[in-house]
Parts: sequence; structure tokens; C-alpha cells
Amino acid sequence: MKHKSGAVLLLAMALLIPANAYAMHIEDGILPPSAWILWYGVMILFIIPGIREIKRRVQENLSYKPFLAMIGVAVFVISSMHLPVPVTGSCSHPCGTPLAAIVVGPFATAVISAIVLFFQALFLGHGGITTIGANDFSMGIAGGISGYLCWKILTRFNAPLWLAGGIAGFAGDVMTYLTSAFELALNLHGHISLLRQWMIFFAGYGPTQLPLAVAEAIFTAAVLQVMYNRRPDLLPGIAGRRGIFSKNANAEARG
Amino acid sequence: MEPDKNGVAENTAWFDPFTRWMLIIMLAILAMIFIAAKYMDLHGMPAGGTDDAVNAMASHAAHASAHPFINLPGDAQVGAFSIANFFAGLIVGHNWQKLFGRKKEG
Repeated sequence: MKHKSGAVLLLAMALLIPANAYAMHIEDGILPPSAWILWYGVMILFIIPGIREIKRRVQENLSYKPFLAMIGVAVFVISSMHLPVPVTGSCSHPCGTPLAAIVVGPFATAVISAIVLFFQALFLGHGGITTIGANDFSMGIAGGISGYLCWKILTRFNAPLWLAGGIAGFAGDVMTYLTSAFELALNLHGHISLLRQWMIFFAGYGPTQLPLAVAEAIFTAAVLQVMYNRRPDLLPGIAGRRGIFSKNANAEARG
Repeated sequence: MEPDKNGVAENTAWFDPFTRWMLIIMLAILAMIFIAAKYMDLHGMPAGGTDDAVNAMASHAAHASAHPFINLPGDAQVGAFSIANFFAGLIVGHNWQKLFGRKKEG
């Protein structure tokens, strides 16, 4: 009973406390050193293959460098956009990492997401330096890989690209916040069960984030469809399997 | 009009299709933000950040104070975001042109 009332109190606080600053991601000061060091370690496990993936794909495709730069900056802007959700009376941001993982690769997304989080923490007052590992794991790694897997599975079964992209965007966004809530709950659940505390933290994110996940789904689907129409050669595994080339690709092939 | 050395004069319509679509999308998103913000204002909703609310909740659970690495007060935050997004837009546009720009015939 005591646990239940504590959970209700925490949930009420999440929904009702007025915020003075409009901070994003997990901030400094919440996670103990043991936790943020652990998340830094996990992040590095994905960053190392990410750097390898970038080096390999730069060698394979001359367009990859400008593409990576553009996607990195796009993730910075998208994850900085605080959009109001009138249903809950609060604001939150999409991630952009599911799209990034599909087009530049899931491990490369871990790298660009870490760089994005570093600049957001250092210059914009969003997130924290000690929490880059935890935030990268939720946004860049869990969000990116879940979106990437949805995309790969659905395109393998020949689902329409807009549908595969939309589901990838939605799943990546929701997974980001499920993971953020899990990271917090893992360290802060105290006497409450981990699952209950996880769901309490996710209930703090969920009502605002779900409409934004729908927006992220539409955005991801639209961008992938435009890319498919203009430069399908930039979508790994799509142009070859579906046997379709854009005007640009054909022109380049003709020399 | 004779095109300049970059061939710009051929494509100097005020609202070429790309600009027109970008403006339409931007205005649609801004209109949605305006309507949502007006609704929240009329109903006394705080419109704070969800991440911030959960951070406050976690701070309470952790008995520790959460804080961003730096705190940009007032309009400094708007300035920092404007600068960051202005240059982000330039970089995206520059690379967009490289990747998706239509190649000249011949």
C-alpha cells in the first residue's frame, strides 16, 4: 500500500510539477558515478564498431561523408526541437536516430549521437556530461538499433517503404524513452520493484512522447520515401534488391 | 536574363518548387505549434519539458539535485538555439545540395 501511494505520488509529480527550465535527456547529478561509468562503458562498446563502420562505408561510397555530416546535424536539430503536446500540456522532442540508423548504419548512429549529446550538453544546457553514456545508450543505441531492426525486418518482407519507415520511427522513439526510464529505474528503484519503478518513469514520458512518436513515424516515412525517389542508391540494401535506380544513379552509371 | 558564371539566373524564381514546399511544411508545423501553445496557455498548462519533469521525479527519488552541465538563463537559450540551428541549416543545405541537387544537363 505504501509502495502504491509512493508510486502514485511520483507519477503525479511527473505530470504536475511545473518546470522552470526546458531541459532534455537525463541531466548531471541524478545517476551515481557507478551508473554513469557503466553506461559510458556500454557506449564505448558500440562506439568502437561505429568508427569501424564509418571508415568502411567511407571507402565504399563517396557520398557517405557528406551524408553522415548531414544526418549528424539533422539529429542535432531534431533532438533539440521541443514540441508542445496539448493533450498533456507539456513539451518533448523527437530523436531522429531511427532514421539515422537506417541510412548511415546503427553503429555509426551511436557515434554521431554521442557527438550530438556532447554539443547539446556543452553549449545548449541540455543533458549532462556525465550522462552522455546513458543518454547515448537510450537515444543513439537503443532507439537507433530498434528502428533499424524494424526497418530491416519489414523491408525483408517487402512491406511498403513508407510503412517500414513509419514503424521504425515510431518504435525507435518509444524505445528511446523506455530505455531512458529503465536507466533511471535501474539505479533509483530503491524498495519499489524495478518493473514498477520503470513503468512509473515511463508513465512520466509516455503521454507526451507517444504523440511525438507518431510525428516521428510520419517524418521518418516521408524522408525515406523522398530519398527512395531521389537517391535510392543511398538506402543500403534497397536499390539492389528492388532493382530500382534513381535518375542520378542511372546518370552516374552511364558516366 | 543571362546566367552568371554559376548559372544562377536560370533558377531565380521567387518560389521555386523546393522553396514553396519547404515554406508550406514549415508554416504547417508552426501553425500546429501555435494552436497547441494557445490551447495550453488558455487552459493554464505549464508546457514544461517532459524530460525535465522526469528528471525532477528522478532527483526526488535519488535525493540528489539534477542540473544540466550549463544553465542558459532567459533569452540566452533562445540565442544559443538560434545560432546552433542557423549553422546546422547551412551545413544540412550544403550537403543536401551535394547529395540531392539536380545535376546540370551536359
